[in-house]
Amino acid sequence: MASAPRAQFVTLAALVVAIGCGGGKPQEASAKSNTAARPLQLAQAPEDPATAQPSGSAAITGRVAFSGAPPAAERVKMDADPQCALQHTDAVHKPEVVVNANGTLKHVFVYVQQGLEGKSFAAPASAATLNQHGCMYEPHVFGVQVGQELSIVNSDATLHNVNCKATKSKPFNLAQPTKGMKTSKQFAAPEIMVKCVCNVHPWMAAYIGVVAHPYFAVTGDEGTFSLAGLPAGTYTVAAWHEKYGEQTQTVTVGDGETGSVAFEFKAQ
Amino acid sequence: MRSLVHRAALLLLPLVESAVLVAPSAVAETIAGHRPSPDLAVGRAAYQQHCARCHGVEGRGDGYDAKRLYPRPRDLTEGIFKFRSTATGTTPTDEDLFNTLTNGLPGTGMPDWSHLDEGARWQLVAYLTSLSAAFTDAPPESVNLGTDPGPKRADHAQGHAVYEKLGCAACHGLGGRGNGPSAATLVDNWGRPTRPKDLTEGWSYRGGNRPRDIVARMLTGIDGTPMPSYAEAVSTDDAWQLAYYVRSLQRDIASTMIAHARRLEGPLPEDPDDPRWQEAPRADARLRAVVDTQGQINAPQTVTRLSVWVLHNGEAMGLRLMWNDTSDDRGTPADALAVALLPQGLGGDVVSLQTWPLRDTPSLDLCLWSAAQTAGEAREAVAKDFSTLFDGTIAGTVRESRAAYLDGEWTVVITRPLAPTDVPGAAQLDAQAIVPVGFVVWDGGNPSQRAVSMWIDVVLRPPKTRGQGHEAAPSKTQGGGGAIWAIASVVLVAGLGLVIKTR
Repeated sequence: MASAPRAQFVTLAALVVAIGCGGGKPQEASAKSNTAARPLQLAQAPEDPATAQPSGSAAITGRVAFSGAPPAAERVKMDADPQCALQHTDAVHKPEVVVNANGTLKHVFVYVQQGLEGKSFAAPASAATLNQHGCMYEPHVFGVQVGQELSIVNSDATLHNVNCKATKSKPFNLAQPTKGMKTSKQFAAPEIMVKCVCNVHPWMAAYIGVVAHPYFAVTGDEGTFSLAGLPAGTYTVAAWHEKYGEQTQTVTVGDGETGSVAFEFKAQ
Repeated sequence: MRSLVHRAALLLLPLVESAVLVAPSAVAETIAGHRPSPDLAVGRAAYQQHCARCHGVEGRGDGYDAKRLYPRPRDLTEGIFKFRSTATGTTPTDEDLFNTLTNGLPGTGMPDWSHLDEGARWQLVAYLTSLSAAFTDAPPESVNLGTDPGPKRADHAQGHAVYEKLGCAACHGLGGRGNGPSAATLVDNWGRPTRPKDLTEGWSYRGGNRPRDIVARMLTGIDGTPMPSYAEAVSTDDAWQLAYYVRSLQRDIASTMIAHARRLEGPLPEDPDDPRWQEAPRADARLRAVVDTQGQINAPQTVTRLSVWVLHNGEAMGLRLMWNDTSDDRGTPADALAVALLPQGLGGDVVSLQTWPLRDTPSLDLCLWSAAQTAGEAREAVAKDFSTLFDGTIAGTVRESRAAYLDGEWTVVITRPLAPTDVPGAAQLDAQAIVPVGFVVWDGGNPSQRAVSMWIDVVLRPPKTRGQGHEAAPSKTQGGGGAIWAIASVVLVAGLGLVIKTR
């Protein structure tokens, strides 16, 4: 609807899903099929047994609808850095408001905001990855657990700086001047959201949801999410979007049950 | 004696535009050279006296003068500090803060506070670290700065290779002029426009221009700005080689405030590259950004320096002007420059270019060159403001000019009769005159701002034949050294005057 999503973003969504769901369960059929195209990135999904610790069989699923006319996506001009421009044959747009063909909103970070107090969850042993590729961040929106390793990779033969403006954890601004450079970081405290930018390429922005538990997800091309493996209980579920802010809903689920939540963001 | 100094300082206050004059500290009980035990009440009092005017009563960077300063004073409660010896995202050490207080931040509104006694500075440091939780949440993590190889082992070719490998040119430009492809789009962490350092301007490196300072900036980053930490991207050996290379790019500036003209026979050179320009000594002026109509500065200063060479042949005067501008803007708004002279009859009644034009200020004789105009043209008129000359309300009289733009610098030659008869009220100069000349520069890429010089004395009369006695030697003091000495000597004279009067 808004702009034809590039193939890259489709695979990007797959990566989001893979990382975003702490339990390692892809929550979208379409995303599943897309991940198959990129086995390398799939391998980075957390499949560690340590992440399976929340002992519950409840789940919360839902979709994030969008109504109204979305703003036109801003075209990214990469002329200043030939290394960036060379990697794209098609026009690149800022992935800010991406409305899917089915009228749902992509890049929405969904997480359990309340209901898990008093429970502690160890960070998964596997790392999440923030990749700089074609002078864009992959993924654009994703989640990590407190203490989880975040591997920041430069796949471009140009200088990137990774300026992550955390306020609850230590912020950092690191130079990655060479292709293949990799840096490990982690966040010490929950924060919705940590924004990372590259000052060299001012169109680049990534949002990281830092959560104290594994119940988070990011909407992809179908605009749906699934938070599985929850203990029975009453939860406040929040949906965050970079332009439209945060919404919450409360839902109660018992063991073996699946609660349903529908969010809707409106064009402004 | 102290009260005399106080009174002398008060007398001076109206003379010193926006300078921060500081009375001797009330915190005098600490022994110099020793670090006193922290007393937050003492630190708070010193903070309120010296710092709050810019950094705000609560340290939020919102003091009375904050909007007149660019870069803005930091919000100290966020605990994000630029100049550290510590890892990115961690707080500075007490010594880092002490050094910043002691040395100031050249090129910004942050003065040096070395005149406060050491004990007072340590009390301020203790108070500053109480303003932000970051000092406990993100305690200093020291960064290994490696070993200084010394200038003899510095290899500029290797340093240059590191400069290229690390992508420094993306922002700082291939030659370090601060004109890389990303330079104009940089913003700080609060979304305010910022510019990469022009590495040739050794006098305005905020955190110091020695190789050790440069290594520290490289490895720790300048937090809150686009400058990242290269701690994980470069070896300390390479960082030092890079630092010595960057050091080699630094140039001195001779802010003599005097431009000595040279006399030639025959036509004056029109070409900016004509070798005859080198016969005149270069004079440098540092430029200052002018506050906007709201009394604010909301963009980084992009034009910071101007050099001038003056030739004349008894009939006409030629000015060769060179200034830094990271972008060649010939569209709208275009790069532009005005040479200001005092019109006939205004001798001695010098107005400040900082405040001109105010209502009821006298007109100035302006010679306006704009990159948008047809090449080879500048226009001179006596005008009450800049805009009438810009928009063509006043046509002005055409003056010969030539311009060239190369690697972040404009070079413009403007030729003007010494005593023009074609501009009513124009300055009438003779070949023996000492003439105040001022410069105003606009950067089309930074249109909200203009930068102005002080008045510079152009000496048209020939130098004395015996010796070079009155030839100004290049100033050894960098930065505001000259101004500080001037203030100090005025204070001394005023103080002496008062002493004599009291007796």
